[in-house]
Amino acid sequence: MNYPFWDIPYLGSGWVIGIIAIFHVMISQFAVGGGLYLPLAERKALREARNDWLAELVGYSKFFLILTGVFGTISGVGIWFAIGLTNPEATSTLIHNFVFGWAIEWVFFMVELATAAVYYYTWNKIDEKLHLVVGWVYAGASVCTLIIINGILTFMLTPGDTWLSVAGTGNEASKFWNAFFNPTYWPSLLLRACVCASLAGIWALISASRIDGHKQAALKSSLVKWSVKWLVPSFVAMPFLFAWYLYMVPASQRALLMLGIDTMGTGTFSTVTRMALVIVMTSATIIGVAYYLAYRNPTDFNTAHAVAILLLALMATGAGEYSREMLRKPYVIGRWMYSNGVRVPYAIRIDRDGYLAHSNWVWNGADTSYSRGEAIFRGECGACHTLNGYRPLAKLLAGRDRANIESFITMLHEYKPDSPYHHFMPPMVGTQQDVDDLTNFLNAHVNPPAPSGQKSVQTAEK
Amino acid sequence: MTTKTMASNVYGWMDERLGLSELAAVARKKTVPVHAQSFWYYWGGITLFLFMLQCFTGVLLLVYYRPGVEAYESVRQITFVMNFGWLIRSAHAWAANLMLFAILVHMFSVFFMKAYRKPREFGWLSGMVLLALAACFGFSGYLLPMDELSYFATKVGLQIPVAIPWIGPAIANMLRGGPDVTEFTVQRFFALHVVVLPALFIPLLAFHLWLVQRHGNAVPECEEAKPASERKSMPFMPNFLRKDIAMWIISLNVLALLASVFPWALGKPYDSLAPAPMGIHPEWYFMSPFEMLKMLGSVLPGEAGEIAGLLLFTLGIALWILIPFYDTSKESGRRGRTAHYFGLLAVCALVATTVIGYWTIR
Repeated sequence: MNYPFWDIPYLGSGWVIGIIAIFHVMISQFAVGGGLYLPLAERKALREARNDWLAELVGYSKFFLILTGVFGTISGVGIWFAIGLTNPEATSTLIHNFVFGWAIEWVFFMVELATAAVYYYTWNKIDEKLHLVVGWVYAGASVCTLIIINGILTFMLTPGDTWLSVAGTGNEASKFWNAFFNPTYWPSLLLRACVCASLAGIWALISASRIDGHKQAALKSSLVKWSVKWLVPSFVAMPFLFAWYLYMVPASQRALLMLGIDTMGTGTFSTVTRMALVIVMTSATIIGVAYYLAYRNPTDFNTAHAVAILLLALMATGAGEYSREMLRKPYVIGRWMYSNGVRVPYAIRIDRDGYLAHSNWVWNGADTSYSRGEAIFRGECGACHTLNGYRPLAKLLAGRDRANIESFITMLHEYKPDSPYHHFMPPMVGTQQDVDDLTNFLNAHVNPPAPSGQKSVQTAEK
Repeated sequence: MTTKTMASNVYGWMDERLGLSELAAVARKKTVPVHAQSFWYYWGGITLFLFMLQCFTGVLLLVYYRPGVEAYESVRQITFVMNFGWLIRSAHAWAANLMLFAILVHMFSVFFMKAYRKPREFGWLSGMVLLALAACFGFSGYLLPMDELSYFATKVGLQIPVAIPWIGPAIANMLRGGPDVTEFTVQRFFALHVVVLPALFIPLLAFHLWLVQRHGNAVPECEEAKPASERKSMPFMPNFLRKDIAMWIISLNVLALLASVFPWALGKPYDSLAPAPMGIHPEWYFMSPFEMLKMLGSVLPGEAGEIAGLLLFTLGIALWILIPFYDTSKESGRRGRTAHYFGLLAVCALVATTVIGYWTIR
């Protein structure tokens, strides 16, 4: 609203964050899990005098350093760029609220990068015990990054009543700790910790699968089996942690999970249910494939199998993050800020003054209804919808004439409590003029004027 | 008594009466060749798995589907009213597409591995009939929702048999149950889809699988050339079976992902008086003959174009089916190479016409 709108055609700016972030989570959560895996594996190898393990772990740590140090950092910074462009209002709130609490991430990132490099390059060059300490320092720094980012992410879903009571007063920072350790903080932290352990195991399987099972059967067998065990915490704890997590989410948002059970029609929001199904399906498969293929037959476990598990993990992670984002609808910051950046208590002001009076950056000033409508569309709808790409409004409103579109927008404007759209749509804020302008804009795209000289319909019939 | 002793007692009781240990002994002796192309051995099993999924989801849909006048309404209720009805329907529709894809991969991998040669000719021939039946499954099932898309796609698709000289219109009439596609057509297609085709498919599939058991897996020529001591293999049970089941589970996940993220839509109810929607076309597995008919129809005038298209396609299929009698054994020399190039030509032609078909949709 107070910022320009970042228009990404077809995909929508939200998916720019999504694509970068899902990629990032696959690596960053591996960084946390792998940060524990490496020193634990090294310690086990030293205790049991397994030089074959140690030789293998050198290769692992190189792979680890490159993957996390290069792709992890690039994608992490990429998220920063993407969120600032996509939803600057929400990013602004998060920064104002957490600023140094969040910036301290960077201290731990620096420690991580430094220790990861030292860990790899000093292998076999420094005392074994000191080397292990370097590994533990990495692990500690890495866990701290998770501890911090988890606070920011969960705050967005459940800021908590305490923070909400001071939101907008200028005293938000006084409730920093309440906001940080919000209702979904602990279940989310434990959930993500389990995922980190699983990803550590899964990425380790990629490396272990490349060992020749005929030439080094004992090494491959022991490493594969030990790596599979890293999936056990997920398998055991996930159902309970998920239930705890959902319990801490406000009931109105938890209800989104049920919307897709009896229908997948447009006009309802079945995405959360459908994504939840994907999470359950792929997670169960990972456990099954990891046990029956990797654990029971380690010497035959090849890279194609390992990559299959990784892809399943990608599907599960992607679906998980996507449904977490969808669960937050219609908010970007729960019960405080709608997905389009409008703050909940400010809606009244915008209804009085008009949307464009509060959105100087979105409108080029051309005084036509279409131009105003386009600006309102971008500002109010563009956070979640495109015209012809992702969640395309031209298709979703297809078949409706102008009067019908207007009554639809009016329904969103009135935002009555029994409206089915209440679950996942913010109210359409603005004056009646804004409603008309938006209607004209959308109508121009849903019902474009017919071109002169219509082309004949092609069929195979004669 | 522990569960283990109870289980072995039950096993023993069943074994005395059914001879299970004999079967297990056969399974344990059976081996599967291991070489660079072993990956292709899984695709027949994937097809089988997808077929079993179709039976499962199909039966669930059968419980609620009503053929005839209420077809659309029953599908509407499945998709928008019943709990997870949309999921079962999406899984069924997607699995149909995946199964046809798997059959084509399986067929081409068999072709290029020359697994149609002696003694596997019957396997090839039964496989071709199974492919035809699967295509019929796809075609008959597509009409059942009776929405705009399925009605017109079927109407357009039935133009292909109409083009057969002399007997074509009669065949089309018999399929349609009259001159037009109506609720009688849907009842006919339903009977075909749920009774006739399964009754033909399942015994033929059993025959096809028995042949694989009898003859084992074919190996590529380069592998055959190696001395027996250099050839690697793995036991069918439990090694290959374990990997086979893993592939099935991965297929299930791909299906689950597609069905959940891209659920199958239901269009408007059909209107026989309306013109066909712009860009109507059959599903991808029929796009190739459809496009060939269109291409030749635009080159040659009138009916000659359609007949030429049909003839070309029929000739191609006939040559394809009869390949085991052309390239009979590894001694066939040049014929082996010719068959290989013919296979490449077939793949390229199919892919090209399918892509062109989609490109030129108006």
